[in-house]
Amino acid sequence: MSSMINRIWRPIKEGFKGVFRHGAMSFSSASAVTITLIIISLFLIFTANVRRFTLGLEQEVQIACMVDYDHESAEEEDRISLAIQALPGVKSVTYSSKADEFQYYIDSFDDESTKEAFEPFRESNPMHDAFYVEVDNNTNIEEIASQIEAIDGISKVRYGGAEAVKLIGALRSIRTVGGILAIALSLLAILLIQNTIKLTIQARADEIVIMRNVGAKNGFIRAPFVIEGILIGALGAIIPIILTYFGYRYLYNLTGGHVISDMFTLIEPIPFIYQISLLLLIIGMIVGLIGSYFSVSRYLRWKR
Amino acid sequence: MIECTHVFKRYKNGVNALYDINLKIDQGEFVYIIGPTGSGKSTLIKLLDGEEISTKGKVNVVGIDVGKLRHSKVPIYRRNIGVVFQDFRLLPTKTVFENIAYALEVIDMNKQVIRSRVRSVMNLVGLDDKGNAFPNELSGGQQQRVAIGRAIANRPKVLIADEPTGNLDPAMSDEIMSLLEKINAAYGTTILMVTHDLTLVNKHRKRTIVLEHGHIVADLAEGGYVQHDQ
Repeated sequence: MSSMINRIWRPIKEGFKGVFRHGAMSFSSASAVTITLIIISLFLIFTANVRRFTLGLEQEVQIACMVDYDHESAEEEDRISLAIQALPGVKSVTYSSKADEFQYYIDSFDDESTKEAFEPFRESNPMHDAFYVEVDNNTNIEEIASQIEAIDGISKVRYGGAEAVKLIGALRSIRTVGGILAIALSLLAILLIQNTIKLTIQARADEIVIMRNVGAKNGFIRAPFVIEGILIGALGAIIPIILTYFGYRYLYNLTGGHVISDMFTLIEPIPFIYQISLLLLIIGMIVGLIGSYFSVSRYLRWKR
Repeated sequence: MIECTHVFKRYKNGVNALYDINLKIDQGEFVYIIGPTGSGKSTLIKLLDGEEISTKGKVNVVGIDVGKLRHSKVPIYRRNIGVVFQDFRLLPTKTVFENIAYALEVIDMNKQVIRSRVRSVMNLVGLDDKGNAFPNELSGGQQQRVAIGRAIANRPKVLIADEPTGNLDPAMSDEIMSLLEKINAAYGTTILMVTHDLTLVNKHRKRTIVLEHGHIVADLAEGGYVQHDQ
């Protein structure tokens, strides 16, 4: 039992020792991890927020269908609702009565005096009963809108507009490009880090040969190096995590949570920064693990 | 204990290092292998410790066919033999104590046993007070004694020493020789020592195998060797 614990504990202990005994090497490897993780962090924050914008915009894009004043009976409206639902590409249909619409309109004003000014109109409500339609795919919103307009009893159709649809498309492309860049950069980073770790291990190739000379099995030699790699990865993640933690909160407070207009709301810092931090830590550790594993394995093969 | 039958070694770059080596060394023997530079001494050592594989023939040590070992099994085989090198090959980041203990940790020995074994080995090689020193804080002779201590810590049946006195002055060489003789006598360890220090060979007489241009040219059971004119 004690040898079992020893077998797990030894490489961890040795790994920690290794990090400190090869301080300069550990520092240079950790720096490579740090720089990379900062870049990855920026991309993660950027793509996550662009994604948030897109989702927010997509919710904005819906077709508002006004019912004609002379088709406001329950039967007529049921018929219209069913007709809309029957159209291909329609995701959901929500009903909103003219009283709801009036209230919604009044609520859109901030100051009380304007709200009161509209109160007299509540009796002779000029609003229409309305259906709000969400579509499956925003690109065919125009076509569906014109089909709804053709339904008997619909007086007018409005939708979020071609601009919104175009913006969604543009954001989607940005997100895709951002995602691809993030992945490409991460891969490049892994290569860079692996190279640095390889150099640090190369300096210790003699050590590896000596270990084999005295009868250490490959796994026995590898384990402390891998632990060391994981540790270096974790150490390299500290600064990026600190920067992410304070930087994003600063950005959020500075902008008040919005960029350009109210339409673009930033993701709330909590728990977002915790998730990003955890992700950075995990990426750092995995990169360290992979980098050191492959590098040691190479030098294990170096001599018989 | 050690047996080479019709062993040939030709390196990939075309160099022929050994020709038809036939050799038999029994348990408890102390044998010198001598010869000029390039005679194949180091190659023979590499064949014995599994670092190289013979081109032809069979190398058998402690009942194991060394040439047939898989890469991953080589270290396990090496637990049966201790090897001491001219350049000591100590782990520079480990203390004397840790260096010796390492050879025992790799075979998963109990911690308490390791502790007492390392102490007794340090006593045997005369480095009782150097446990916390790092290799670069020691003299060449002391480093070599650490290396010998590490090589014998797990009581191997065979100890191979590749020019263990090559980097040492005569006084220290004598010390190392006495140490090896002590180990040979105390544990019955078979010792194979490669050297080109003829003074040493003539002073501490043992069975002496002479290599020249990859051939065994002499196997002197009584030892002592006077270099002849070529």
